[in-house]
Amino acid sequence: MSDKSKNKRSLAAGRRELKELVETCDAISERKFNPFFLDVKLGVETLRQFFPLWETFGDHCMDAHTLNRLSEVVRLQNTQLKFQSSALYVDPEFIIRKVEHMSEKRLVEVLLQSWHPLAELEQLTEQTVTDALNYWDALLPIAERWKKRELIEGKPPSATNVDTLTGLGIHGEEFNKQIAKLLDELRDACKTSKFADYWNFIRGSNYQETVRRAYFVSFLITYGFAKLHAEDNKLSLTPIDQPTGKAAPNSVSFPIPIPRSN
Amino acid sequence: MENKEATQTQAFYSDKLKRAMHLLLFRRGKIPGAKEWELKEKVGKNFEQVLEQLNQLLSELDLEIKKVRERAPAYATQDRTATDETRYCITLKGTLGLKEAKMIGWRIDNLAALAATVAYLLSKQGKAPREDLEKLLSNKFGRWKSITLVDIFLRTGYLEEDDAGVTSLGWRTQSEIDLKALMTRMAEVKL
Repeated sequence: MSDKSKNKRSLAAGRRELKELVETCDAISERKFNPFFLDVKLGVETLRQFFPLWETFGDHCMDAHTLNRLSEVVRLQNTQLKFQSSALYVDPEFIIRKVEHMSEKRLVEVLLQSWHPLAELEQLTEQTVTDALNYWDALLPIAERWKKRELIEGKPPSATNVDTLTGLGIHGEEFNKQIAKLLDELRDACKTSKFADYWNFIRGSNYQETVRRAYFVSFLITYGFAKLHAEDNKLSLTPIDQPTGKAAPNSVSFPIPIPRSN
Repeated sequence: MENKEATQTQAFYSDKLKRAMHLLLFRRGKIPGAKEWELKEKVGKNFEQVLEQLNQLLSELDLEIKKVRERAPAYATQDRTATDETRYCITLKGTLGLKEAKMIGWRIDNLAALAATVAYLLSKQGKAPREDLEKLLSNKFGRWKSITLVDIFLRTGYLEEDDAGVTSLGWRTQSEIDLKALMTRMAEVKL
């Protein structure tokens, strides 16, 4: 019983080893390794060692396949030796180093000294006509192609909805609360003097806060809750006692850049 | 009488020369040039003598006829392989200068990459995985450019790629590049 299980284990190990051997041979065929990376003699010994254990037809097929792959490696080793003894043999590492260090111009010069381009006259052939027809068949009508280009240029202006505006923070209860709070602050600031200095009023604890307050103030001005005075390069704000709550018809844009130093 | 025969021979060859020239120069399929069996069929059994005479004429124009041995297809029978393997084409006898190379539509960096590619593949016995080739080129020309360059060389026939992603030297490299001269020049370059 123990001999039987030992044999089974060996059989499994044999199958695994043959599979690995075939994979290595395949990698060598695909030029991933040097053909001399594999010890062919050891490979044949492995085959010989496991041959008496094979049970199924598949095992024998695998054995024959492995032998075939090993013979391919021997052929590649032969080619490698012939190549190394030829005038073309150069170590790949040597070429890699040369390519890395040579300038593009020098590489081109090397190629040009050994390059003899083909002379031919191009003409319509069966192949070129077939290629042209395939291209023509796959080509979209001009109207379709222009349509695609229009899409790339960007979406045309369209109407938005309340949810989008609320999501952007420029609509909804929270927004109205912020506006009302700022209006109260402005009224408080103008209790002692008629005007509140614009820059002092919008100044927050940091730059982001300053920009946020300036953004809300612009709404107060646009919708007639406050008035902006620009005199002698000085900007000031005053609250309006009876606000209209609507944008003034003759209002003009007055952009105010906010430098980070403020 | 002798003169008449000589004239007849001359006319006979002149006609054959024209036919051979047309076959070699005008592209009929994907690859330019003519196969040996085509020349035998259209020019005659003595096509080699005709080509020799044509070669003499072409050499005055800095052109020459080149005999290229193609890789035989796997399905070729033993009988057909011998004739199918050989192709004749016309190539430049001398070499091009840097400016001329630019004028025939080649970018300098593409030619530099071609030199590196051919030299590297030759050092690997003419075959290497595509990733290895792209890695070599990406060190010099950048990652994305290296992919494009390999694609260009595959499209123009300087390289071939099999299903396993192994690249090898294509028909055009065999026809156009003097491989021994290239490797000698590479070895001669001082770093």
